[in-house]
Amino acid sequence: MSDNRLTQTEASLNRVTGQLVNIKINGIELQVPKGESVIESAKRAGVDIPFFCYHPRLSKGDAANCRMCLVDVSMPRKNPDGSVILAKMPKPQASCTLPADEGMVIETESAQVVRDRKGVLEFLLINHPLDCPICDRGGECPLQNNTLFYGPPTSRYIEEKRHFPKAYPLSENVVFDRERCIHCARCTRFTEDISGDSQLGFLKRGADMEVGTFAHTSYSSKFSGNVIELCPVGALLSRSYRFKARPWDLHTQRSVCSKCSNGCNIKIDYRLDTLLRINARVNDAVNEEWTCDKGKFGHEYVSSPERLKTPLLKVDGEWQEIDWSEAYRVLVEKLKAANGSVGGIGGQRCTNEDNYLFQKLFRDVLKSNNLDHRTSGNFGATNSTLYKRFGYHAMGNTIADLENMKAVFVIGSELVDEQPILFLRIRKAWRYNGASVVNAVTSVQESSTRVGDFAEVELVYKPGSELALINGMLNVLFTENLLPETGVDTKKLQAHVASWTPEKSAAETGLAADAIAKAARLLAKTPMTIIAGREIAAHPHYEAIVNALGNLVVVTGNMGNLNIPGLEANTQGAMDMGILPDSAPGYAPVEKAGMNTAQMLEAAAIGELQVLWLVGAELLEQYPDTALAQKALANAPFVVVSELTLTETAKHADLVLPSASFAEKDGTFTNCERRVQRIFKAFEISQDIKPDWLIFSEVLARLGVGVPYFSSRDILRAISTQVPAYASITPKSLGEAGLRWEYAGDQPAPTIVVE
Amino acid sequence: MPILNLLYENRDVQNIENLDVYEAHGGYQGLRRAVTLERQAVIDEIKTSGLRGRGGAGFPTWIKWNGLPKNFDKPHYIICNADEGEPGTYKDRELLLKLPHLLVEGMIVAGYACCGTAGYIYIRGEYVEPAWQIRKAIDQAYKQGYLGKNILGIEGFNFDLYVHMGAGSYECGEESALMSSLMGERGNPRLKFPHAPLPVIEGVWKSPTLVNNVETYCAATWIAKNSGAEYAKYGTERSKGSKIISVSGHVAKPANYEIELGTPLMELLKIAGGITGGKLKAVIPGGSSVQIRTAEQCEKINMDYESCSANGTLLGSGGFMAFNDKTDIVVLMRRTAEFYMHESCGKCTPCREGTRWIYKVLDRITSGAGRQGDIELLLDICSQIDGRSYCALGDAAAWPIVGAIKAFREEFEYWITHKRSPIGEDAVPPVPVVVNPLLTLTPA
Repeated sequence: MSDNRLTQTEASLNRVTGQLVNIKINGIELQVPKGESVIESAKRAGVDIPFFCYHPRLSKGDAANCRMCLVDVSMPRKNPDGSVILAKMPKPQASCTLPADEGMVIETESAQVVRDRKGVLEFLLINHPLDCPICDRGGECPLQNNTLFYGPPTSRYIEEKRHFPKAYPLSENVVFDRERCIHCARCTRFTEDISGDSQLGFLKRGADMEVGTFAHTSYSSKFSGNVIELCPVGALLSRSYRFKARPWDLHTQRSVCSKCSNGCNIKIDYRLDTLLRINARVNDAVNEEWTCDKGKFGHEYVSSPERLKTPLLKVDGEWQEIDWSEAYRVLVEKLKAANGSVGGIGGQRCTNEDNYLFQKLFRDVLKSNNLDHRTSGNFGATNSTLYKRFGYHAMGNTIADLENMKAVFVIGSELVDEQPILFLRIRKAWRYNGASVVNAVTSVQESSTRVGDFAEVELVYKPGSELALINGMLNVLFTENLLPETGVDTKKLQAHVASWTPEKSAAETGLAADAIAKAARLLAKTPMTIIAGREIAAHPHYEAIVNALGNLVVVTGNMGNLNIPGLEANTQGAMDMGILPDSAPGYAPVEKAGMNTAQMLEAAAIGELQVLWLVGAELLEQYPDTALAQKALANAPFVVVSELTLTETAKHADLVLPSASFAEKDGTFTNCERRVQRIFKAFEISQDIKPDWLIFSEVLARLGVGVPYFSSRDILRAISTQVPAYASITPKSLGEAGLRWEYAGDQPAPTIVVE
Repeated sequence: MPILNLLYENRDVQNIENLDVYEAHGGYQGLRRAVTLERQAVIDEIKTSGLRGRGGAGFPTWIKWNGLPKNFDKPHYIICNADEGEPGTYKDRELLLKLPHLLVEGMIVAGYACCGTAGYIYIRGEYVEPAWQIRKAIDQAYKQGYLGKNILGIEGFNFDLYVHMGAGSYECGEESALMSSLMGERGNPRLKFPHAPLPVIEGVWKSPTLVNNVETYCAATWIAKNSGAEYAKYGTERSKGSKIISVSGHVAKPANYEIELGTPLMELLKIAGGITGGKLKAVIPGGSSVQIRTAEQCEKINMDYESCSANGTLLGSGGFMAFNDKTDIVVLMRRTAEFYMHESCGKCTPCREGTRWIYKVLDRITSGAGRQGDIELLLDICSQIDGRSYCALGDAAAWPIVGAIKAFREEFEYWITHKRSPIGEDAVPPVPVVVNPLLTLTPA
C-alpha cells in the first residue's frame, strides 16, 4: 500500500540499542528493542497495522484512543510447576502503545482483530459526513483508505449524524470542519508536544467532544500548518488550498523551502504552472517532518500575476518591455563601458550555482571584487571573528545536535521567526531531554509561540547592553567557581570581568541581578550552546559581542558551540560561493578586497560606481540606512535588478531581469548548518523567465567568455572540482537528505579574547 | 445474622463525626496499633484479612499496598477515590458524612504502611456536604497530631491529607482518569499496564500512587484496630468481611445496609423491607453497569464476588437496585444508555460513538420506531465496545444492555413489534415523550 496512506511519515524506527527481546508477529520471529511499540516492531516485520492517532513523533501517552491498531496478544506465563504456557490477553491491545516484551506473540489478522477494525471504522463513520467528493482530503485520506482495506462495506446507522456548521475558521490559515473530525488528538498533541503553544484542546465530552481553542479565540501558532498534514481526515484544512484541486490532479516535486536558512525539506504540489500547496518532506537531520507557517503558506508570490515575464528597460522614466537579446545588448554595453567599475549585491536567495557564476562573472571577466551578499549590516571581514577563533563562519553545531544540549542560550533573536526549525529542536531539547534554556532579548513579542515561554530565565535587556550582560554572567561563573577545568588560561578574562558584579551588570542592562546570576548558573553545563540572532549579527559592536560570547563557550568547556546562523535561504551558500568582497569561493582569500555593500552604495551615491547589479536584494527593505540606499539607486549611472516581481527596489532600476523562483529552477541551497540540499524545477511560468545562472552564463558568453554549463548540474560538478569545501558535493552524493560539508583541518585551540 | 455492622458499628452515635466522640468510641486505636507494628506487618494484616477493593473491581487490597516501593526515594501518594458516581451507589456518601474519621484514619494507616508522604481525597463535585465533613475531620486530626509532622510523636512519620473536589464527571471515578483530573488535566483515562507502569510504580506526578475506595480505607481502619484475622472470620472463602450495599428501587426501606459477604440476595431484599408495588421482576445487584438479573435468577445469587460472577453479574460497588413488575426494562435501559452517553469522556472511538449509538437505537425503539434486527444491532454494537474501549467505561456501558437483552429479550421484541410498552400505561420509568417525531420515527 502506498506510502502516503496516512502521512508521508514512515514510523521512525527506534535505534536498536539496549536489550533485545524475541517476539513473534503473525508467525514471523524477530528481535526488537525491549519496550518498542508493537506497531513499530510490526513495521520491521513488514506487517501493516492500520492506525489513525498513532504518530511516531507525538507523545504516546495520549495515543491509543482511535483503537484502530488493536491486535491480539499472547504472553508466556509460568505455571506453578515451572512449565510455560502461552496465555492470550483477554482483551485486544492497542499496538501503538504496547511495549514489546520477551516472548510476546502478536496476531494482527485474526478473525477477531479483523472484526474489531471493522467495528472501529463503523463507529468512526457513523458521524463522519460522506462529503468526500468535495473534501480536500479525498483521495489522500487515511480514513478513506483504511475503510477501503479494513472497513465494513455498508453502515447500519440510520439515525441522524452529528452536525456542526461547516468550515469554521480556526485561524487565518486553517479552517476546521468539526463534522469530519474523528477525535484522534493528533492536532492537540502536536500543539502541546511539538509547537508548544498548546492552542488546541478538546472541549465538551463524549459524542459532543470537539477540538477547539480556549474560549473560541483564533488559533495563533507559528506552526499551525502542520496540523493540516497530521489530520487523518479532512477536518483541518488549509484556507489557501481549500477547493483548489483534487490530490490526484497534482504533480509533486521535491524541493527545499526558501524562506529561511533552515532549509526545510518540502514537497511542492502544483498544477500546470500554479503552485498550490507546500507539504513537508521528511528529513530527520533538518526539519524532521515539520514546516513553519511562513514556509507552508507563504508561497503565493510564486504563481502570482505580479510576476515579471519579460525584461523591462526604463526609457525616459517609462518601463518598456523588451526581449532578452535587447536586454543583453544594453547590459553588456554598460558592463564593457564600466571598465571594472561594477558592483554586485545579493545572492542570499539564489542557488549556489547562481552565485558561483555571479562571482565568476565579476571576478574572472569584469575583474572586480565588488561583491557582497550582505544587505542588512555587519559588513566587516567575512565573519572573521568566528572563523579565527572557532574555524567556522556561522554554525558550529548541527541542527540535530541541538536537541542533545543540556543548556541553550539564545541571545538577540526572536528565534521562532528567524530560525523556526532551530526553535523546534531547542524546544525538543527542553521538553524531552530536560535542557535549561535562557533567552535574552531586547523586547518581548506578543506571540503564542516563543522561546521565552519555556525558557527558565528570560532576560529582557536594554538594547546595547549585551556586553554588560555577558560580562555579568561571566563574573558570576568565576566568583561562584562554576567553571570546569578546560586548560585554558582564564586569568585575564577573570580580571577583566572582576568588576562586572551582577549588580553592576543589572544596573547597565535593566535586569535583576538575581536573574543574571541564575542564568549564568544554568549555562555552566556541558554541552551548552549559544545561538545569536539577527540583533547580534547586525550589531554595531558585533565583534566585541561575538568575542564575549566566544569567551562564554570557551570557559564553560563548550568549544565550538557558538552559532550565528545565516538568515536567508542561501546566506551560507552565498558566503561559500564567495559573494564577498574579500574571499573567493571556499573562502579563498583574494589579492585585493573589493567594496562591501556599504562602500558600494556610498560609491554609487556619488556616481562613482558605473553599474550596480542587484540579484534578489531588497535594499530598500533590508538596508539599515534607507536614505543612502535610495541615493545610491538614484545616482548610480546604471542599475540592473534581477527579481521575481517589480519590487520597490526594482522600481528604481534601469534594467529589470525576470528571474526564476525556487520552484522553477534546479540547483542547491546550503542551509545554516552547511547542509547542501537540492531543489528541482517543478514547472515553468514563462519561457522568458530565466534562472539567474542562465542569465549570468549568457552574459558571460556575450562578453566573449563562453562557459560550458548547460544545466545547474554542470555547474555543481564544476563547483565540486574547484571549491575544496565542496569536493564531496555532487548531484549524486546529495541524495534525498543532502550532505553537510565540513571544514578541512583541525579546530583551532580554544582561546580567550579580551580587548 | 446477615447484617454485619463493622464499619457502621458507631454510625448512629450522636456526633460521631467529631474527633472526641470518635476517639471515645475507639477511634484512632487502629492507627495507634498500626504504628506499633512494622510497616510490612500492617500490609500483612491486610493480606490476612482478605480485604478486596470495595470500589467495584474487587482487587485484593494488599497487593496494591505491597506494590509501592518500600522506601522514601520519591514521594508516595495515597489517594482516596471518593468520586462515587455509579448510579445506585451511595455508600461512600454516608461514610463521608457520618464517619469521616474512619476514612481519615484508614488513609493515615495506609500512609504509614506504604511510606506515604501525602494523601488526596478526590470527592465528586456534587458531594458538597460530605466534603465539608471530611474537611472538618482533617482539621481536627491535624489539631490532634494525627496528621502533619511526626505523627503520634513518631520521628519522621509525616503525612498530609488534602481534599480535592471533582468537577462532575463520572469518568473521573476511573482510577487513571482520577489521576489526570487530580493533576489538573482533562479527566481522561491514562494508559494502563502493560502499556504504562502500574500506578503503584508511576502514578500521579510520576510517583508511586495508591488508589483505594472510601470503604476500603474504612475497612483498613477496622482491620488495623481489630486485626486481619478477626476480619477474615466474616464472609466466604474468598470474599471476606462485610460490604455496604446501597439498596434502592422498589423496596420498602431503601438504605445502606452493611452485610456479611455471602448473604443471599433474597435475604438482603427481605432486610430492605421487601418489594413494593408488585412482585419482584429484576435486580441490578452492583450498580448500573452490571448485568440485570431476573427474579428467578436472583434466588441463586449470594452477595459476594464469586457467587455474583458465577451468576453472570457482578457485586460491583454495591449499588443494589430492585425493580417490581411495573418496570419497563427497555425504557430503563434507554435511561441507563443515556447516562453512559452523557458520561463518556470522548477519548476513544468505541465508547464515544458507540454509547451514543446505543442510546439512539434504544430511543428509537421506545419512540415506536424499532426495526427488526435492532436487537442484533444492539448486541453487535455492545460487542464492538466491550473490551475495545480505552478504559472500562465502555465495558460498563455495554454490559447492562447485553444483560438486559439476555434476560428480557421478549420485552425488546414486544417494543419493536407493537411499538408500545409491554407493561402498559403505568410503566416505570415513564415512557419518554417523543419530542421530534419527524427525525426519530424513521419508517421501519
